[in-house]
Amino acid sequence: MIRFDNVTKNYDSKSQPALDAVSLDVDRGEFVFLVGASGSGKSTFIRLVLKEDRASRGAVYVAGQNVANIPSWRVPRLRRGIGVVFQDFRLLPNKTVFANVAFAMQVIGRSRAVIRETVPDVLATVGLEGKNNRMPHELSGGEQQRVAIARAIVNRPGILLADEPTGNLDPTTSMGIMKVLDRINQNGTTVVMATHDDDIVNTMRKRVVELRNGSVVRDDAQGIYVGETGVLTG
Amino acid sequence: MRLAFILSEIGSGIRRNLSMVTSVILVTFISLTFVGAAGLFQLQINQMKGYWYDRVQVTLYLCVDNSSETSCAAGPVTDEQREAIQAKLESEQFAPYVDTVTYESQEEALGHFRDQFANSPIVDSVTADQLPESYRVSLVDAEKYEVIDEAFSSEPGVDAVSDQRDFLEAIFRYMNWASVVALVIAGIMTFCAILLIATTIRLSAFSRRRETGIMRLVGASKAVIQLPFILEGVIAAVLGAVLASATLWAASKFVIDGWLVDTFPQTAFISSQQVLLLVPALILLGAVLAGLSSLLTLRRYVKV
Ligand SMILES: Nc1ncnc2c1ncn2[C@@H]1O[C@H](COP(=O)(O)OP(=O)(O)OP(=O)(O)O)[C@@H](O)[C@H]1O
Ligand SMILES: [Mg+2]
Repeated sequence: MIRFDNVTKNYDSKSQPALDAVSLDVDRGEFVFLVGASGSGKSTFIRLVLKEDRASRGAVYVAGQNVANIPSWRVPRLRRGIGVVFQDFRLLPNKTVFANVAFAMQVIGRSRAVIRETVPDVLATVGLEGKNNRMPHELSGGEQQRVAIARAIVNRPGILLADEPTGNLDPTTSMGIMKVLDRINQNGTTVVMATHDDDIVNTMRKRVVELRNGSVVRDDAQGIYVGETGVLTG
Repeated sequence: MRLAFILSEIGSGIRRNLSMVTSVILVTFISLTFVGAAGLFQLQINQMKGYWYDRVQVTLYLCVDNSSETSCAAGPVTDEQREAIQAKLESEQFAPYVDTVTYESQEEALGHFRDQFANSPIVDSVTADQLPESYRVSLVDAEKYEVIDEAFSSEPGVDAVSDQRDFLEAIFRYMNWASVVALVIAGIMTFCAILLIATTIRLSAFSRRRETGIMRLVGASKAVIQLPFILEGVIAAVLGAVLASATLWAASKFVIDGWLVDTFPQTAFISSQQVLLLVPALILLGAVLAGLSSLLTLRRYVKV
């Protein structure tokens, strides 16, 4: 589903590359943790998948297609196939929960009828039944992140990218979010989640890819992660 | 659905940015009013040229007592000279140029003079023998004035050959200047309008960067992301153009139809109907200005 072929990303020529000759294969339906210390290149990986940035060397394939060969007018179609969630939720503060999720369908031209039908289903999937008309500031952080997840998957993307989705949440709330992501993954969506939360990684027992200074230093199926503290907690 | 969405985005953009949108409307209004005024001056010049050049006459003034020209050295024009002049005007040689010839005697000249200066005290002090007799020659082609001038200016008995075009051309020159000044002001104001539209779009893009960021991530097309901004500028500029058109039309209605036509009945003025011809041009110009400047701004400030 996602393939990195010897990908190097240099933001500028002086400093060392954010990604350094990374080769990686993520299969359809997989759940992959992308772990590593701050600055190790996790967000850069996600940006390259979205074609927000171009690889300096090597090739990035999404669903079998080299993203470098996608013309700019076709990039929106690439992104429709990928959902993204961030640490800071990125909700529209003046829109209701329903409107925030509906927004993702409106801008790609879905009909009102389809939106009315789909959005409540998706909100139920992420555990937000009955909160359609709340404003974002009336929700807890975990609930806001659920809205963001609902928005990311409402157009049924094949891939969900999550960049430290639990970074702002306490451990219990984080586990709730992980359950939601796991359920989405069970439904067939490929999930790549960047994190440095070792508790979560060790509880979930999924594939772990560890980056250090832009290089893949470990790639374990059902792996664990030893965080920055160096203390094995899982 | 997408159209409804784009329209609602435009609405919220305009509401959020109301003061800037208002200033865009006003600046385009003023700049296009000057553009239109320059256009009206040109229309008026063409109108008057067409009207007057058809009616331009060359006047051959004949010698009177106190003429100073060498062709008048022998004193006032004699009957033989007058006949020779008339014969020459009506000869085969000048037939291709001359349309009609009318003679104006000193008495008739005094009559015209009195009509023209009816309210002025100088009327009483002027007598018929001070005013020259003249031949009024209307030409087949007003541009061929030189031919008559060369042939008759040194003819014995002819004091001076005069062409109203000198006078008209002075007027046209002033009007041209006025239209150039209007155009320069229009140019400066248009430049302001472009900068202001660019700034407005930039602010608008900044205040909506959250929305556009999300639109990008969920795969909205470039058109859906950028159109609301472009249309916001275009709508404001078109409103400005409509205001400018209304102002020009009202001005022409009151100034030309209401005042100039009565005050200068012998002059051909453009009608307020003709002003309406400018409206589509102004609206198009406003829309193109706004469209271009917002496109250029968006290229820099709204990533897609
Ligand atoms: N836009 C940019 N311009 C220049 N350098 C950048 C840019 N984005 C990231 N970098 C650099 O690239 C390296 C990797 O950054 P990246 O954001 O991918 O790390 P990360 O693993 O996501 O870190 P964190 O856990 O703090 O989010 C860092 O050294 C960072 O300074
Ligand atoms: Mg990061």
